[in-house]
Amino acid sequence: MANVTISSLSGPQKLALGWLSALVVAAIVAPYLPLPYPPAVPDLTQITQPPSGAAKHWLGTDPQGRDVLSNLLFGARTAVLLTLPAAVLAAGLGALAGGAAGFWGNSGRPALRYWLLGLTAGGWLLAGPPPTAGWVAALATLGGALVLATRRARPGWPFPLDSLVQGTATALDTVPRLVLVVALAAVAGEVSLLGLVTLFTLTSWPHPARLVQAQMLRVRALPFVEAARAAGMTEGRVWLYHALPHAVQPLRTVLPLSMAGLLSLESTLSFLGIGLPPDVASWGRSLAAVRYAPAAWWVFVFPAACLAITLMSLSSLTKQQANSR
Amino acid sequence: MRILKFVAAAGFFLLGNCSPRVPPTAIRIRWAHDPGTLDPLALPNQQAVDVANLLHCGLLQIDYDRQFYAPSLAESLPTVQLIGDSLTRLSYRLRAAAAWDDGHPVLAHDVAFTLKLMYFPGLPNEGTRAQYSFIRALRYDTNDARSFTLECRGQSPGFALSSGDFPILSEAAFDPQHQLRRISLAQLQDWPTTAPLDSSLATLAKRYLALTAGSRAGYLASCGPYQLTAWKKDRYLSFRRKAHWWADRLPNPPFVLRAQPRQLQFVIIPDAVTASLALQRGEVDLYPQMPAPEFDRLRHSSTTRAALNFYQATSYDIMYAGFNMRRPALADALTRQALSHLFDAAGLLRATQLGQGQRTVGLIHPSNRADYNDSLALVPYAPAKAAALLRQAGWQRGAGTDGGWQRRGSNGTTQFLHLQLRYRTGESAFEVIAFQFRAAAAQLGIPVVLQPTEAAVYTSSLQAGDFDVYVRVLKGNPFVFNFAPILHSRAIGAGNFPGFGTLASDRLIEAVAAADSPAHRARLLRRFQAMMQAEAPLVPLFFLANCIAARRELTGLHVTGIKPGYAISALERVEQPVPTP
Repeated sequence: MANVTISSLSGPQKLALGWLSALVVAAIVAPYLPLPYPPAVPDLTQITQPPSGAAKHWLGTDPQGRDVLSNLLFGARTAVLLTLPAAVLAAGLGALAGGAAGFWGNSGRPALRYWLLGLTAGGWLLAGPPPTAGWVAALATLGGALVLATRRARPGWPFPLDSLVQGTATALDTVPRLVLVVALAAVAGEVSLLGLVTLFTLTSWPHPARLVQAQMLRVRALPFVEAARAAGMTEGRVWLYHALPHAVQPLRTVLPLSMAGLLSLESTLSFLGIGLPPDVASWGRSLAAVRYAPAAWWVFVFPAACLAITLMSLSSLTKQQANSR
Repeated sequence: MRILKFVAAAGFFLLGNCSPRVPPTAIRIRWAHDPGTLDPLALPNQQAVDVANLLHCGLLQIDYDRQFYAPSLAESLPTVQLIGDSLTRLSYRLRAAAAWDDGHPVLAHDVAFTLKLMYFPGLPNEGTRAQYSFIRALRYDTNDARSFTLECRGQSPGFALSSGDFPILSEAAFDPQHQLRRISLAQLQDWPTTAPLDSSLATLAKRYLALTAGSRAGYLASCGPYQLTAWKKDRYLSFRRKAHWWADRLPNPPFVLRAQPRQLQFVIIPDAVTASLALQRGEVDLYPQMPAPEFDRLRHSSTTRAALNFYQATSYDIMYAGFNMRRPALADALTRQALSHLFDAAGLLRATQLGQGQRTVGLIHPSNRADYNDSLALVPYAPAKAAALLRQAGWQRGAGTDGGWQRRGSNGTTQFLHLQLRYRTGESAFEVIAFQFRAAAAQLGIPVVLQPTEAAVYTSSLQAGDFDVYVRVLKGNPFVFNFAPILHSRAIGAGNFPGFGTLASDRLIEAVAAADSPAHRARLLRRFQAMMQAEAPLVPLFFLANCIAARRELTGLHVTGIKPGYAISALERVEQPVPTP
């Protein structure tokens, strides 16, 4: 497996990396930049003004009088703060679920304490008791699990982990992700940035899970895993320290693609006016503003260009990683 | 064979493109939201009022040609008799031709029944009850079943008009046993809220609610010119002209009794931009209350100018913000006054209406020179003054730039000044106002959470008091000055969204409605405007211009400032000549 270095990148890929780096830097420093106009603050004297230096609206204003440049910079911040954590968390969740499903299949026999923890967590999630009761139950179960952990763990009943993970992933995949997220956002009402990260994570883990599960099926049969077992390591340690690090390798390739997909999804949601609060800047929301002034090209072109360049950059890096593997 | 099929298909295609398009029969009008209910007693919004005017008739109705009230079911405007110094008698006579769908004549008993329903316990009549509380009794003419006299408390000259502006309902349809005749109007008006109904009255209430539930209200026996043919909630309402309407038998029907369109369809399109596209594509024929920037854009576009006509008139629709006075933080006038200074009304008028509108100190239009209180100053945009007023109201700002405002409440609890601003989605103007207020409040360290709300649930959210600040358009008219449905304490939970109402304000509102002369009413209205500015339950921002765009083939709009801004029943579609190549 070859390592990816700056020198191994092609010219366009270097540009892509430069753009993405600039985006991350812009996202970090946006609140500290000396912008003449903050985002989500209308300039009532400059509604739908084209780009010009007259009123320091360098990229113009939208039909609500908001500065396009500020919206772009803070939209980049939203994109980074939303898609990067959501993609990483979805990859992490998918890796754990897919890795476990691939390693143990349907024949794993978790110890009693894990059954106890799993049943309590599942019951809590499904029944939705009041938070206090849930916490009390969770703490009591955790205590019980710790007590059981001091004794010698006895294998419990076989658990169909692979079927559960595959079934849940298939169930999530049967509904288009946009429809699923729109439905969940509609049920939740207006969602915060953190809420949207959670929503994206919970709806995006199946793809990484499938990749890791498939890779794990190959890895678990390799000699070094057998050697670790023969050395007397527990199944959990073999999985965590030896098998999983090898099984998650494909995620390095799909992470940029996953981010691109989430960025598109966030932009679509914002364009439709669903999800983030209206005062949170977003490229999708900026694009939607052109409906009120179809002749204002600057309201459409700048956020569309940012979105397109970012998606192409992520796609370009994915190709590089795929080639290097 | 394949060649034959191809030729046939091509022929159909060519014929389809050469032959003139058959215009749809229904006149399609854009509505921003669904009326929600067709109950003629509830009438929670202008859409519901428009439906009621199609399905039912009032004693009087607005003549959009003359822009004044004209007799509809009544033969003429009422004769007015002043009794002593506090009573007015209004004598009406119903038209001999006026009849229900089954051919039975409309009689004084139907009018009495309708008035009693306005006070009947358990019915959704809070709004109408507040509006018509000046009518205390209806006296029948023993010699003529079509004549009656309304006894009104007070001597307002406006009574002659407002006493006839409500839909008359059929007694036979709701109360075939005449159960309500044994109870007088005064008895119902004084009915204790906790007093139970006897079984026959309870049955009547249930029957009314059952008959007016959902779309059933659209199929009631009525005396209006149209009948409902379809109501798909949040999509459209369709109406068909009755084939045998009683007014068609009049030799020379007046303007208010003419109903031109054979079919009407109100298409619900919440989003203003989508509605504009629908108009341009010919999917709707009429777009009333078009946002000023879109109106201006279409008017100056060569492509749309050829297909559309544009109309503009002064309107009595006012853009305003309101505060939820039930919230402890907003319960005192000083805090509300302070927050009023955070709305940049002048800038908002320029930005959202391109300056086409008029600022105001209150709910009276500035063009009404007699009643408008010109001694009051317009509330300026002044964040510094807002901060000073907040301190005066006992608020203290926390340390640091992000420090919020807090104060000790009367019960010893700490109150925090953070606000939730609710507005209807789909219109840019509401968004701009919300953003501007939020930005101004943020400068002072007051956090404001924006709550864009779908039209379908917006009014119910306001009625439930689920907001701190809201932005809305209030539709008014130049004839009647009865603010009871929106600001009287009796209307809290219905149309009085801020929850405003003190003994003094209730009395003043009642006095305005009952003022015995224009001069007296003007004095009271000026006091009312001063009181509203001091109490600040609402922040009147500006009056809007009535901008209407319609397809060129639509005529007879009679565009006016009186709501809904055009004459629905006078609309006509005139075939445009097909241009020859």
